[in-house]
Amino acid sequence: MLFPTIDFGLFFAFSFILVWGLNPYNTVKKYVLLALSLAFYASWNWRFLLLLLASGAISYVVGLYVDAAAKRPFRRLALGFGVALDLGILAYFKYLDFFIAQALNLAHMLGFDLPLGFVNVTLPVAISFLTFHAISYVVDVYRGRIAASRSPLDIVLYVSFFPHLVAGPIVRAHEFLPQLASPRRAGDFSFGENMLLILGGLFKKMVIANYLAVRFVDPVFTDPSQFSRFDLIMAVYAYAMQIYADFSAYTDIAIGVAALLGYRFPQNFNQPYRALGIGDFWRRWHMTLSRWLRDYLYIPLGGNRHGALATTRNLMVTMLLGGLWHGANWTFLIWGAMHGVALVLDHAWRRSAAFARWGEGPIVRVVDWALTFNFVCLTWLFFRAPSLDAVGQFLGGVWTDNGAASTMPAVVLPLIACGALTQIAPSRTRAAIGIVLDNRGALASAAFGFVLLYAIVVMAPSAAAPFIYFQF
Amino acid sequence: MAAPRAKPPSSTSPWAWLRVLYAVLGLTVFAFPGGMVDWLDERNASGWLSVPLAVARGVDAASAAVGVKGAGEWLRRWFAATIGDADT
Repeated sequence: MLFPTIDFGLFFAFSFILVWGLNPYNTVKKYVLLALSLAFYASWNWRFLLLLLASGAISYVVGLYVDAAAKRPFRRLALGFGVALDLGILAYFKYLDFFIAQALNLAHMLGFDLPLGFVNVTLPVAISFLTFHAISYVVDVYRGRIAASRSPLDIVLYVSFFPHLVAGPIVRAHEFLPQLASPRRAGDFSFGENMLLILGGLFKKMVIANYLAVRFVDPVFTDPSQFSRFDLIMAVYAYAMQIYADFSAYTDIAIGVAALLGYRFPQNFNQPYRALGIGDFWRRWHMTLSRWLRDYLYIPLGGNRHGALATTRNLMVTMLLGGLWHGANWTFLIWGAMHGVALVLDHAWRRSAAFARWGEGPIVRVVDWALTFNFVCLTWLFFRAPSLDAVGQFLGGVWTDNGAASTMPAVVLPLIACGALTQIAPSRTRAAIGIVLDNRGALASAAFGFVLLYAIVVMAPSAAAPFIYFQF
Repeated sequence: MAAPRAKPPSSTSPWAWLRVLYAVLGLTVFAFPGGMVDWLDERNASGWLSVPLAVARGVDAASAAVGVKGAGEWLRRWFAATIGDADT
């Protein structure tokens, strides 16, 4: 059940009545929310419902053990057990075949055969995001940031809540669990702003991302040898805009849907392509993943507390694992490594005397932006290409031009420009319009919402590309 | 005696939100009724959606009768042709 579908529209319309109708009866409402979340997940593959419930149950039990253990070694043992279980489930489903393939290749190179076979297991939808949420809970309990919940319902609902279940944003336990404690108040949210968030997400996905994918990016990456140098380079920039429009659309809709049900999610994107430096980029792109990696990986590794060499190691380990999280493929590892190296250099630059002297000057800022944006686009090539061979073929085409004429559709540039507008529009625009709508009343909101949705349906192409982050 | 609490603005009531949501969804279905008819038709193999399907066909007919459906289809074709996407 994808967000921009009739299925989800009906599902949400039904959920909305149930959730607010049961709002005074908080426990009943939470059971209903859980049932809705399980139904949402089952719409992809009901066979993995048990996995979803097991993940919640493991988190609940481990949380209780971590909380109850009086001595630090026992707490660490319980935490280690819980995290290992969560990571073990992720590794089995997502990485086992990749590591078997690497072991077989290595053995073949060394001249012997290993008695190993591929497990060929189906990758459950949302397994990565499920793992992030589960680990977040037990670590937050271990650190004393939240008390272990005595309610298994709350924990299972936390890991499976349908707006964030499939592709985030990654909502931390201490951000979400307190919201389950009492009935929600609609007055804490702006309806107008969240309606705009959802409609903006639909526009970014159904118009910008789908057109770019279907008309240009997918054909180019399917067979780069058929395209000219100009088309290949433009396809990288188009993909940069497609992945932003696609992923930020999903999380915008998720945040808006959660808010209309009375739950607050953290922001996940903040105009990432206007970043000045790679560090700044990661504070703006998939912000909930960046914070998760920082708090649960980079800082436990030592962060920047033990000198330049250790900081470099920690940044590289964090970004390599961040890359590998996206998929069991060398392309993702290289993507992570490129960002790791760039972060190390960025870190050093921002602590240098040269930066202190010239770093805030307008020319340096423009260069900083241009370098960051183009570097990020270059890394997207590795992210999008299905294999390293494909990257080689793509770059070879950029070098030789393939002898082809440009066939880039005219619609690509306006779409990129449209995406660029979302990067430079004042960040308070949506909130300001939302307040105006809230003050104008239901009729104005309905008219405005209908006109926007009508325009989106008119503009959306018949063919649609799947959400990119579903595969992770 | 405490003054009675002022009624909150309608925008802070989930039931006001509900009216807006259903109005937006309902108007969109009326403007583009074909999608809902197809959606119901695809899932009606055993006939359990006959009633909503009949309603959707009624909406489709009403929308076509007043020209709203035709206008939506024309706009979609026009936009696709304008950006050179008539084949998708």
